[in-house]
Amino acid sequence: MTASASSSTALLSIRDLRTYFHMGSAVARSVDGVSFDIGAGETVGIVGESGCGKSVTALSILRLIQPPGRIEAGSRIEFEGKDLVTLGDEEIRHVRGNRISMIFQEPMSALNPVFTVGDQVAEVARIHAGVSRKEAWNRAVEALALTGIPAAADRARQFPHQLSGGMRQRVLIAMALMMKPALVIADEPTTALDVTIQAQILELLVDLQKKFGTSILMITHDLGVIAETTSRVIVMYAGEIVEEAAVDELFSKPHHPYTEGLMHAMPHIGRELERLNVIPGTVPAPTDWPLGCRFRDRCPYSWDLCAHEHPPLYQIGTSHTSRCHLAIEPERRKHPHPPLVVMEGAAVA
Amino acid sequence: MNSIAHSRQSPLGQTLARILERRSSRVALGILTAIVLVGILAPLIAPYDPAAQPDIVALKELAPSWLHPFGTDPYSRDVLSRVIYGARLSLFIGFLATLVSLTLGVAYGATAGYAGGLIDSIMMRILDAFLAIPRLLLLVAILAAWPQLSVGALILFLGLTGWFGVSRIVRGQVLALKHAEFVTAARALGASRRRILWRHLLPNLVSPIVVAATIGVAHVIVLEAGLSYLGIGVPQPEASWGNIIRDGSDQVATLWWMSLFPGLMMVLTVMTLNVLAESMRGAYDRSST
Repeated sequence: MTASASSSTALLSIRDLRTYFHMGSAVARSVDGVSFDIGAGETVGIVGESGCGKSVTALSILRLIQPPGRIEAGSRIEFEGKDLVTLGDEEIRHVRGNRISMIFQEPMSALNPVFTVGDQVAEVARIHAGVSRKEAWNRAVEALALTGIPAAADRARQFPHQLSGGMRQRVLIAMALMMKPALVIADEPTTALDVTIQAQILELLVDLQKKFGTSILMITHDLGVIAETTSRVIVMYAGEIVEEAAVDELFSKPHHPYTEGLMHAMPHIGRELERLNVIPGTVPAPTDWPLGCRFRDRCPYSWDLCAHEHPPLYQIGTSHTSRCHLAIEPERRKHPHPPLVVMEGAAVA
Repeated sequence: MNSIAHSRQSPLGQTLARILERRSSRVALGILTAIVLVGILAPLIAPYDPAAQPDIVALKELAPSWLHPFGTDPYSRDVLSRVIYGARLSLFIGFLATLVSLTLGVAYGATAGYAGGLIDSIMMRILDAFLAIPRLLLLVAILAAWPQLSVGALILFLGLTGWFGVSRIVRGQVLALKHAEFVTAARALGASRRRILWRHLLPNLVSPIVVAATIGVAHVIVLEAGLSYLGIGVPQPEASWGNIIRDGSDQVATLWWMSLFPGLMMVLTVMTLNVLAESMRGAYDRSST
């Protein structure tokens, strides 16, 4: 079972990743002690709302964090026998785009406006394969054709602004898969696209993954994307992993109240509601995470223990963990109360 | 997609097409091309040798006539020939000095902007110090200290004092662009710093750099004329628009042709350059919004 890939067989193994942003005297602990594995050929999803640290985690893997952000000492990102955190600048360049590549959210702004898309795909081969200009171009056209771009040879000579959003995303996928990397990190790859195009792009990613045996780290706030593409899910909240489980298990038996909230906030076709369920309140500021449970204010089950004891990742099932004290007092789930943010809001009013 | 449609679709091609849409820029480009051609073809066009003094008594200070359309100067030299050769030299100095300042300005600005942080702050404060000194004053000080200055040295000094503005522009643009997502994407693909700077940042700065360069050429032409007028620019007997005006400067009222014709050429050149820069800026602004 891929869900419990142990660290010895894992392709990517992240241990205690902490990425902090140092802004004057304030320190934003955007990623605060994240550990997980990705097995070879596996698709893992990271889900969470804006500001939970999922994108910073993705950028940290490729060491793309810019000052004032920095990966703290003690963090480890093991990949193919190397620790990416301590790898030299030149060596990490050979990993980027070659062994691990990334697909960005906004396909228009991720492409350079002044070069043809063929040039930009070919550049990857120029950097990593050291092939001639002509050979790189041929490979680029091949890669573009592989992503289902019709008349790829002609399209390659066009500029980004001449292509549709879906086409541009295919170009980015062609760039990401050019060197047949072991791992592709897809950071919200379909968020900027129309719903119909989203489905096509996801299908394309899954197809190409099967073809090349690439592992995928799918970062999204969309549980629908998670359900369609991944085998294992990591839920992040306030810089931490709050729950991790196989995808079926997570959808059928969510444990953490935050995961539960996310599920309830998902609109369902055919179910009529007066309004969408939302999780009340917002994520606390990364410069001062609360002492106990970081979700306490927004949680309908919280009790005094949650205020002063930061919950560890409890083992819920064979491959299911949750950062919630309900693991030790499950009967409290039967007695929900209005979340603290709601009660405080009422008190003020 | 044929190749013609393709070249029109490139962002630079589009900008170029948009510049040529305007009649004022087509006219300006036509006039400028004519002036440049006159400069390049000077030996073929000029009716006389610009340095020859055929008869310093009989042929000096002649008013414009069919034989000498722009008249002659106090040394009996033909002013038309001198203005034509002056175009050659003034444009040559303008382009080369601007090339020097562009190279320095782009290198300095791109380094500061791309490095950022402390390096950027230090480099910008040094720049502020340079900018605090008026360029003309700086040049007068340098050139006055070098009595026998060659044209090459003049170009070098004009270039060395002209890169501050360009480096400001480049630094600002690099600073703004280096966090663009396509730059992060390029880093994620394993592009080296040099590749990112040369392939991803600078090509996106071509338009503002060309605009700055065009204004820069106009500025150098005026500066050179000013310096030559003061007698510390282009050395005699070489002709430049500035030193032709200087030759007639003690009798402006009587030898009016000595300042009118080179002056008109200068105004025409500077104006066309500015019109072009303005329409390039317009086209660039429209394409970037």
